[in-house]
Amino acid sequence: MKYRYIFLTAALLMLIAGCAGVKTETSSESAAQEQPAPVESENKAVIALLDLAHTDNEAGRREAAGASLERALRIEPRNPWLWHELAQLRLTQGQYEQAISMARKSNSFAGQDRRLQALNWRAIGDARVAQGDSAGAEQALKQAAELEQSQ
Amino acid sequence: MKFPSLSWDRFRSGFNSYRKVIRLFALLFLLGLSGYIYFLDVTIREAFEGRKFAVPARVYGRALEVYPGLKLTSAQFADELRRDGYHENPEPNAPATYKYTLNGLEFTTRDFVFGDGPQAAQHLSIEFDDGKVSQIQTRGDKETDLPLLRMEPPLIGGIYPGHNEDRELLKLNQFPKLLIDALIATEDRKYYTHWGIDPRGIARALYKTVTGQRIEGGSTITQQLVKNFFLTSERTLTRKGTEVLMALLLEMHYSKGEILETYLNEVFLGQDSSRAIHGFGLASHFYFDRPLEQLEPQEIATLVGMVKGPSLYDPRKNPELALKRRNVVLQEMASQNVITQAQFVAARRKPLGVVQRAPIGTSPYPAFMQYVYRQLQRDYREEDLRSEGLRIFTTLDPIIQHQAEVALQSRLTQIEKSHRIPANTLEGAVVVSSTQNGEIQAIVGGREAQYAGYNRALDAQRPIGSLAKPIVYLTALEMPDRYTLITPLDDSPLVWSQPGTPDWKPNNYDLKFHGMVPLHTALAQSFNVATARMGIELGVENILDKLPLYGIERQPPPFASSLLGAFDLSPIEVTQLYQTFADNGFRTPLRAIREIVTADGKPLQRFPLNVEQVAPAGPVYILTAALQGVVREGTAQNLVNWLPADLHVAGKTGTTDDLRDSWFAGYTGDHVAVVWVGRDDNKPTGLTGSSGAMTVWGEMMKNLQPEPLQPVVPDDIEMVNVDPVTGLRYDDDCQTGEKMPFIKGSAPTVISACASPSTDEQTNEKSAEDAKVKPGDKQDSGKSWFQRLFN
Repeated sequence: MKYRYIFLTAALLMLIAGCAGVKTETSSESAAQEQPAPVESENKAVIALLDLAHTDNEAGRREAAGASLERALRIEPRNPWLWHELAQLRLTQGQYEQAISMARKSNSFAGQDRRLQALNWRAIGDARVAQGDSAGAEQALKQAAELEQSQ
Repeated sequence: MKFPSLSWDRFRSGFNSYRKVIRLFALLFLLGLSGYIYFLDVTIREAFEGRKFAVPARVYGRALEVYPGLKLTSAQFADELRRDGYHENPEPNAPATYKYTLNGLEFTTRDFVFGDGPQAAQHLSIEFDDGKVSQIQTRGDKETDLPLLRMEPPLIGGIYPGHNEDRELLKLNQFPKLLIDALIATEDRKYYTHWGIDPRGIARALYKTVTGQRIEGGSTITQQLVKNFFLTSERTLTRKGTEVLMALLLEMHYSKGEILETYLNEVFLGQDSSRAIHGFGLASHFYFDRPLEQLEPQEIATLVGMVKGPSLYDPRKNPELALKRRNVVLQEMASQNVITQAQFVAARRKPLGVVQRAPIGTSPYPAFMQYVYRQLQRDYREEDLRSEGLRIFTTLDPIIQHQAEVALQSRLTQIEKSHRIPANTLEGAVVVSSTQNGEIQAIVGGREAQYAGYNRALDAQRPIGSLAKPIVYLTALEMPDRYTLITPLDDSPLVWSQPGTPDWKPNNYDLKFHGMVPLHTALAQSFNVATARMGIELGVENILDKLPLYGIERQPPPFASSLLGAFDLSPIEVTQLYQTFADNGFRTPLRAIREIVTADGKPLQRFPLNVEQVAPAGPVYILTAALQGVVREGTAQNLVNWLPADLHVAGKTGTTDDLRDSWFAGYTGDHVAVVWVGRDDNKPTGLTGSSGAMTVWGEMMKNLQPEPLQPVVPDDIEMVNVDPVTGLRYDDDCQTGEKMPFIKGSAPTVISACASPSTDEQTNEKSAEDAKVKPGDKQDSGKSWFQRLFN
């Protein structure tokens, strides 16, 4: 059931992407290839905690990764990249509602950073796909595509 | 044991036989005795197995994260070290020692197991510059700076077993040999050879008891352990008999090592108000503030001496008796060659060396602990909390807690003096949380914060009065086509009729009606009638139904009076409500626990950050602007006596009927805080929200040095230059008027001619007043047009 939804949504997305005249390759990875890696923080303590979170995440220690991200957020509570990282983590943890909330929170601090806004909408789209909300996913991913285009 | 089969005949004939009767009785007696012994066996084994691992949960405050750039002075850091049990030492190389240097401190941390693993002790130096941390380095390595240091969290309390027993569980090999030798030399020299009892000791005790002399102990370590399990001081022969039997049984089941280990962890060694100190491990910390392995011979002797009478030989209460007893023990140790004669002579001369103030056991933060405990009770069995040695990492910030306690206590005393209120009749409560993640940083349950008792922060349900108004205004502002900050509201007399209830005629605090007033003014001046009328237009139930969204589970009665706060909430519930306003419409459930870890360091449960957007960001942004107006020019304008205007604090005062409850709820860039002031007997205090609770809030925040409140401007907000009274719109560059936030498209569209810009000349009376409306001089502007309206 779930897979069918994912398949359908994916097909739908390709269609939308085609209509919008966007390259079908709009995943966040290819976006990252085009642009230099973002500077997520100037604060060395935050960077140290982000490194720790990444190490834990790669080793599958998601809870520990979350704890490190929360420590970083206590130092820089309005850093949109930290909220985005938390959204991505919740996504891998299968906590889709929280992934959406965190991505929204990231967007509320993102200011004019369209690249980050696009990444957040993509995270929201992915979460909605996983939740089986294809209409919501379509909307979110469309928003992401528009932001990516206007960068 | 086998019961012989008896036929009725044999029984009858046997019954006549005197010898057989004796035999039968003997048999029955043996049967009974063996049953009794079996019962004792089960009892003592249960007690032994059960007590073996009963370690209370330990509760820690937040771990201070120190990094270059952090706002922290060297004095504050030294305070934190002392709170963590660090001692000043000219050579700070042992764990938990420090010394001051020219620009900071040198110190050595302890090994500590966090939820995410162990952190080894480090030799460090830290420097401060201009109220901030400037550098953290490992001593001896001047090349590399540490980006971040996580300090050990302060221990803030424990959750103790039934009789409030506290202990620090150690393995037998962790006890110093000297302690074990001293104990055996003093209490039970034949411990390793007897079977649990010392027949000669018992015989001597029996003889003295029977001959009417003093009833004496003569107990082995095993017997003392049995006695400790069933704490009664009763001394009868049957009790003694039971004790002997249990001691024998214990020795049959367990090794000498196991019994000794349990004894060393179990023995009662003192009382700390309601907390019982069990075991040498904890006693070492309690009396000497050091781990057992760091104790000197005379200190070990002091603890061993206390076994005989923990209360009588308490070195704090009866230092002379304790010293005498210590020297007796040292003598025994010397005579048994546990220490050398030279050691004996040296040890005898030393003072007791007990620390005067015991490290905290029962928590100094009872109100916060109660909140933690209630949260734990939802997920954990009581016995697990009390016995499994869980380690609970919480969000309490001792620095903030301290400021909250001091502010409440000092302000209440001063308010009583200045308002001629009888001393010690006012009470209060404070809750502080972190704006961005809902973590509770402080809870003060009353003016005597150190004493557990009625926890007003959690349990005082009081009418919230005008603190409810922001709910009404947010509901209105979510409809930008109908309501903006400058929408005129009608503050003329109002009667609300609902079948089954008497007519309701709300009044304003100043007992006047103010005609048409802009929405932001109605909130800033806390006009009841204008608010109630708008609320009724919006629908009472539409508004009250939103409370669950903001995390308030209690449902107020569906009356219009509820819009003005005629329903009860506790300070902590109000904190939850304002948390959502402070966090741009994201609701984050308040949290006091971050993580629970098992005794051996495995993560058991984490309470991760959860957020949910429950109100759109734009209207919440406008509400915050209006609540900043309350502080800038409304009922809370006296807050400027504590906090500079450029912090742009948002807040709301609350005053209930006959001045019974005085409330203030507000937020800065980093803290949400709620203060309640009132009386426990609910009698009038004569205080308004601004003359009572707000002054506590201001005093506390002043000392916390909060971050200014500068919410991110949401996409759908535009700043428009309007006259805050007339609502006329001006060009952006017109100097008349004030920039106010509007949801895009909701601001007035007609642009009025810019009135002659007020300059510094102030040629006539009118422009003198208008001058105060200039942007950048907002401090007095409200007052002027308010006065203009109503004077």
